[in-house]
Amino acid sequence: MSRTFLIIALLYSFPAYSSEISFERLVAITETPAHLKGNFTQEKYLKILETGLVSKGVFSYKKGEYLNWETLDPIYNKLSLTPTNISNEQDAVSSVLSEILFSVLTAQWGSLSKYFDLSGRIEDQTWAVVLLPVDVAIAGIITKVELVGDVLLRKIVLHEKDGDYTTIELAYQYQ
Amino acid sequence: MIKQKSQLLLAVVWLFTIVILLILAAEKNAKFSSSIFALLPESDQSALIRQSSKQISNDFSRRLILMLSGPDETVVRDAIEKLARELSAMTDVAEVFWRVEKEKAIRARNELFPYRFAVLDSKARQKLQKAEYGEVSEQALGRIYSLLSIGQSAILDDPFGLYSLSGSTSAPNLNFEVSKSLLKVTGVDQPTYLVVLELVDEPYDLAVQDRVLGTIEDVTAGSDITIERSGMLLHAAAGARQASTEISTIGLGSLIGIAMLILFVFRRITTLGLLLIPVSVGYISAVAISILVFREVHLVTLAFGAGLIGVSIDYALHFLCERRVLTNSQILPRILPGLTLGLFSSVMAYGAQALAPFPGLRQMAVFSVSGLIAAWLTVVLWFPWLTRKQTIQALPLAEKFNALCRRLPALRFNRFSLVMSILLLVIVAILLASVTGIDDVRLLQTSPKSLVAEEQKVRATLGIKSSSQYLLVKSNTLENSLQKEERIIPLLEALKQEGLVADFQAISNVLPSLSRQEENLKMVSALYDSQLINLYAKLNLTDAKRDESLTSFDREKNRRLTPERFQQLEISNQWVNLIVPPEQGEVATILRFSGLNEGEGSAALLSLSDSDPDLIFVDQTRNITALLGKYRLEIINWIAMAYLVVFVVLVFRYRNRVWRIVLPPAAASILTLVLLVQFEQGINLFHLMALILVLGIGLDMGIFLAETDGSSHTWMAVSMSCVTSLLAFGLLTLSKTPILHHFGITVLCGLGLVWIFELILLDRGRNEVGI
Repeated sequence: MSRTFLIIALLYSFPAYSSEISFERLVAITETPAHLKGNFTQEKYLKILETGLVSKGVFSYKKGEYLNWETLDPIYNKLSLTPTNISNEQDAVSSVLSEILFSVLTAQWGSLSKYFDLSGRIEDQTWAVVLLPVDVAIAGIITKVELVGDVLLRKIVLHEKDGDYTTIELAYQYQ
Repeated sequence: MIKQKSQLLLAVVWLFTIVILLILAAEKNAKFSSSIFALLPESDQSALIRQSSKQISNDFSRRLILMLSGPDETVVRDAIEKLARELSAMTDVAEVFWRVEKEKAIRARNELFPYRFAVLDSKARQKLQKAEYGEVSEQALGRIYSLLSIGQSAILDDPFGLYSLSGSTSAPNLNFEVSKSLLKVTGVDQPTYLVVLELVDEPYDLAVQDRVLGTIEDVTAGSDITIERSGMLLHAAAGARQASTEISTIGLGSLIGIAMLILFVFRRITTLGLLLIPVSVGYISAVAISILVFREVHLVTLAFGAGLIGVSIDYALHFLCERRVLTNSQILPRILPGLTLGLFSSVMAYGAQALAPFPGLRQMAVFSVSGLIAAWLTVVLWFPWLTRKQTIQALPLAEKFNALCRRLPALRFNRFSLVMSILLLVIVAILLASVTGIDDVRLLQTSPKSLVAEEQKVRATLGIKSSSQYLLVKSNTLENSLQKEERIIPLLEALKQEGLVADFQAISNVLPSLSRQEENLKMVSALYDSQLINLYAKLNLTDAKRDESLTSFDREKNRRLTPERFQQLEISNQWVNLIVPPEQGEVATILRFSGLNEGEGSAALLSLSDSDPDLIFVDQTRNITALLGKYRLEIINWIAMAYLVVFVVLVFRYRNRVWRIVLPPAAASILTLVLLVQFEQGINLFHLMALILVLGIGLDMGIFLAETDGSSHTWMAVSMSCVTSLLAFGLLTLSKTPILHHFGITVLCGLGLVWIFELILLDRGRNEVGI
């Protein structure tokens, strides 16, 4: 009897505790190493094409300085994000977007809290969260961001308003 | 007996006239205005220029920008919301901009999408003009795969991404961002949010000012929220407050001074009461007539009118002084010619202001002339009846004062006085040769420094850059204006590269001419022809998808953004000010600069506008300065004319004694100019306007003295009226409204000097009592 009670108590108390997610807890779990490098696979699903456009490439990151995002296939394209060129971005939409991506990829949860409400769950050392924009201007472009990770971010899904979405999977090479 | 009856009848008629005037004026529902623009010269420019400058200034005049900041973000946000809701509920407020609504933001972003093949931004156009189609296609691919690209759902309708996401291409970038729907100011320490409101009408209505500013104060009262504001309404309200304080202080001050003087001289409270009658009838009639003529009465007029008290009292003083030595039946025949000539010369002098192209001065002229005529009628028609029981009793003080003045050494014509006069003339000539004119538009600036500083801070924080300089591109149709604008823009871009002009706004950037839209479509067609197959192959997409894309192009390529359609769009609101609607078969567009290099930039634009009659460079600040300067020179001619006319009129009555009347105001005016040059750093239009008043009042004195051969009671009367005028105008010297100050100081010096000259010229031989 007391055992069943204990199990029930655990069932109810633990999930409740583990779903109580906050940016602070994510900060505690995740790491932001000084250097990071890896490969990515990006799939852009466009509803109107009924198919996804896949591209692959490499990325590298130096804390507080830059994030380089190089698409290698099917075309070559290099994107360099630095804290300065983000703020210099003329177009308000891409400025916000680069800030979000920079923050997501480098796990700067503080700046994300400016734009999103957080929900999701943390179990053991893995977590899956959903970010919902609080700002209507952003909500007009991005409806939802899903993030999955452990000490590092593993997967990003960016949902757009028309049912399009972009999935980015990251594989790290430790230096 | 019959004469008395007809006099009484006229007095009653005059009483009824005043009553009717007041009733008519009361029905008019008058407005009291405080616009400094009302004081500005009416321009002699074309209707198109006037309309365009009105559109440009409306930007500033009807808009009020409010920045609320405080230590606690939530408190500030709540205050913004409360303020915006209360302002939106007001009938004086046309629109309140304080948050971005989702639907509206999306709608605005997509409004121009249907015209993507015809309306291209400058970057896309340049690429296509160079026929760099491969590069455009590569960029499109890069964008489709890019990490940052969002909203690629238009990949079929716009595979090359011709429609840039930013939509309106060159809307000004201000320092604020949308934060949880509200407008948050960036680059500041404390959380700061923005509300912008647009008034229904001009901001010069005092009641509107009180209501709007009252609402704003109520919302922030008692909290630790700081509010910073920018907009014409504030300046208008400050000007109104200043003028109404000055009316009460200056008006009251001069009234008290005058009352004390009269009690001292006449020692009868009834005399004071009598004097107040024509003064108040004059003032009230002047207000009534101004309301009837102008509907809207400017506060500066009322403040200036307060000074009129000192002039309208002239006639009453002259009557009452003479009445002490003349019987009721003697008085009018004796003084009427003098009173009438006095009125005539003053009306001429004041009326001259009506010729000035300043609506404000015109109103002052109507105000003064009607006030003086009313005061004169009151004296002539009512005073004989009101003073019928007064006995003859000379003023003891008049005799003492007269004796005192006549004991002073007189000017004799001899070698010494001739040499001194010539010497004085030379000094005056030398001093006047160095006269510099001041025609700065700041003469009209009445706002307190703190308000100007607040204004500048808000503009700097938000990064608002604007100037009153613009190029007007006129033509017979809007299409032609747009085409012309498109031809000029490369020239302006070149000037921008050289740093001669800052950024500029052009309507043709967002609403290209139809011929340019045609041109754009041709280039886009070429792009589709050469690159579409290639692009879809690289994307690994089916031919069916590619055909869908082509169908979409064919379906929408003929859509044109006509001015009519443009004006129905949401985004046209921020551009519509740059189109001047057709007037007399002419339309125009405005190329507006956010600033330019004053020397070379202005010169370059001037030479551009000189080279083409359809291009007009408009710089309103410079225009007003030029106009002030032009009229400053013209008014000098007018004053000389006035002296000539007065001289000719008076010479019929006074023959060779005429110089005795005209010389004192003339000499006083010249010496006043010398003093002004020394103390006011230069002469402006308003100083010269005031010299006309010196002429008017100075002539009154000379005429009254000449009429009675300088009797002791006339000397007393003119001296008193001089002192009362000095009190009335002299106090205007203290005014913070620049125009009133300039008037005041000029009349103060001028009239003081007129009195001194009259004293010097006073006949020392006459010392007896009476006339």
